[in-house]
Amino acid sequence: MSASATRPAAGTRPAGTTDPVSPKDPTPAGRPPSPRRRARRGLPLRERLTSGAFLAPAVLLVGALLLAPFAATLWRSLFNDHRASGFAQLDNYRLFFTNEALVRSVENTLMWVAGTVLLPFVLGLAIACMTDATRWSRFARLCVVTPYALSGAAVAVVWNFVLTSDGALNQLLKTVGLDSLAHGWLLEWPSSTVVMILANAWQATGVAVILFLVGLQGIPPETLEAASLDGASPWQRFRHVVLPQLRPVSIIVIGMSLANGLKSFDLIWVLTQGGPGRATETLAVSMYQETFLLQHPGAGAAIAVVLTVIVLAASWLYLRRQLDAKGE
Amino acid sequence: MTSFGTARAGSPAALGRRRFLAALGAGAAGLAAAGCARGSSTAAVPGTASISTDNGTWDEGYRKAGRALKPLTGYGLRPLSNPSATSYKQVTQMTLQTSRASDMLKWASGYELKSLARGGELSDLSRLWDRYEKKGWARPSQRASLSYRGKVYGIPLYESYYVVFYNKRVFARLELRPPATWDELLHCATVLKRNRITPFVATQNGSWPAYEWFQELVSKIDPDFYSALVGGRARYTDGVARQALDIWQGFIRKGWMTPPDFDQNNGAAALKGGRTGMFLHGTWQAQSLTGAGMRPGRDYDAFILPTVGKSTRKSVITESGVLAVPRSATTREAGMANVGAWLAPPVQRAWTDFLQDGSANPVVRPGNPVVAQLKETIARERVTRLIRYGEASPPNLVQGNTQDLAGFMTEQSSADATLRSMEARAADEWATWKRDEA
Repeated sequence: MSASATRPAAGTRPAGTTDPVSPKDPTPAGRPPSPRRRARRGLPLRERLTSGAFLAPAVLLVGALLLAPFAATLWRSLFNDHRASGFAQLDNYRLFFTNEALVRSVENTLMWVAGTVLLPFVLGLAIACMTDATRWSRFARLCVVTPYALSGAAVAVVWNFVLTSDGALNQLLKTVGLDSLAHGWLLEWPSSTVVMILANAWQATGVAVILFLVGLQGIPPETLEAASLDGASPWQRFRHVVLPQLRPVSIIVIGMSLANGLKSFDLIWVLTQGGPGRATETLAVSMYQETFLLQHPGAGAAIAVVLTVIVLAASWLYLRRQLDAKGE
Repeated sequence: MTSFGTARAGSPAALGRRRFLAALGAGAAGLAAAGCARGSSTAAVPGTASISTDNGTWDEGYRKAGRALKPLTGYGLRPLSNPSATSYKQVTQMTLQTSRASDMLKWASGYELKSLARGGELSDLSRLWDRYEKKGWARPSQRASLSYRGKVYGIPLYESYYVVFYNKRVFARLELRPPATWDELLHCATVLKRNRITPFVATQNGSWPAYEWFQELVSKIDPDFYSALVGGRARYTDGVARQALDIWQGFIRKGWMTPPDFDQNNGAAALKGGRTGMFLHGTWQAQSLTGAGMRPGRDYDAFILPTVGKSTRKSVITESGVLAVPRSATTREAGMANVGAWLAPPVQRAWTDFLQDGSANPVVRPGNPVVAQLKETIARERVTRLIRYGEASPPNLVQGNTQDLAGFMTEQSSADATLRSMEARAADEWATWKRDEA
């Protein structure tokens, strides 16, 4: 018997199975099970096995490569880092309050998140709006987008030539007589973290530009024409017509930037290795530093857990809020 | 177009899809099997012993030494290098857990070696060491830095000294001579600075170089204190350590040192070009200087940093990498045979001629005349050899304190705060080490 003989084709649900139960409209007590649930219970074994087989690869992959390591990391974070490792309860998590390097790492991570969300968003939007439908727009876009094709490590090597004490930036400043401004850009906190965020923005703005351009091209011209006819100024057209229609793209740009800011590693590692004196570490770098260089796998696991929770919580809260507001 | 859900079994589209999925599944299974397969780089190759190293530029040297080893042991050397020292440590520690470790591996001496040996994954080389000592090919005083709980686990790969290289032509032009006293050193630095030459190379770039000046200054103020400090018998907050940091800070504030992010790979070129006057580094730096076109003894020379006090005992910081043999080596007999002949003079001549550095065998004269002269001076004047800071204390302590010193070099933390942090870490890490040992 063919599978399709007993099962409606995907995408052509039978009547009565199209409305999943909404959390805002819970099934009243005593109401009979939804048709969908009834249909699922009534599925023959073979159908259920087939569904399971299709689901299995994804479930296995996510389980084996994501959930199981996370559970192992969570478990490891509860043990100390002595040679004969013993149960330490939440000692590794207390380091977030007592270890100066980790406190600085949290500060840096917050700076990275703010910088990587704001800069690519603002710059990407500005560049996309300014280069959309201009004669030299293609060339300008190419210049902005090219760094995005480079790996983080390559970007770091390029910026290393610029930012070291003997680098291009200080030489330029000295050439134009601004010797007093020349200093070790990567040596003094917080300027070290700030310049690395700027270097990251130089690379990350490209993708924001692409996404905003796609969004701009999707805006119906008649909405802008209508606004013009109503006497709206260019700023009012941008603020009240363009910007609201770029909302879906903005959600994606900010969401991506948020995750990128929280997991930033490669640029920092190549430029400063988190130094000098652990001053430029972010949580991702601290996790590596503690686990592999200081041989503190318990502390490293605790940082990994905290970082994961922050990334998940931030992404979930942000996306949930944004997507709910759209009604999707 | 056939939709996904409506294709019927037996139809050409369904068959095509099933074949595609089957092929995809088989491909994934094949890749997974290949991924789980054992690596072939450490597999046995007749007539050679594999050696894991953290420096690809030394591969040719290992091959040359291997050609000298082959007539003695029947095995040449097959280097397997990992260019990053950090990832090399991790990969090596993980490989030792497998049944396919390399036949020999390069490691550091001192506490780095003790950390690896206490895992029980290295072969006991005590018999080989005793044989070397009897032949006079090894210094008995070095045994402690190669041992863990009385057994030897490493044979020295080379012996480097931390000395100050200088450009002879620049010194001659400025009518300077290599300083024999602390005052003469300060005079050299003053004259160089006056002539717009940065007197000293000092950097925290690459992390470990941050402790080069610390170990040098502390040991040149009081070598006994240095030994006590790295052995956990003195405190970082004691006066000698504070004096060392004050001198260092003075040098930095006078502009006598390169910026803390100076790339030491450019040190040879900077010395040759007369942009820096003196380069404190291991004698293995001689290879780079020669490679940059400077002739040893003519264009560059080296001296041991003078002691701060006139009556202080002379000392020199030494570094010695080691060769170890994993218990789970693929061809362990090849590894043991080659380590057992490593210090033989013909092998050492081939190796040190390549390395341009000192041999751990006292009877072998280094090929580089500058290094040979230093070695003779150290032996003649009975200069005390001190183990390098990086290997002299538990690895976690060294790692953390090196980061503190990097913060000090960039003036992000004061001398007091730096030393307090180092002392607090020392107390913790020594306690941890002793507890783990117990």
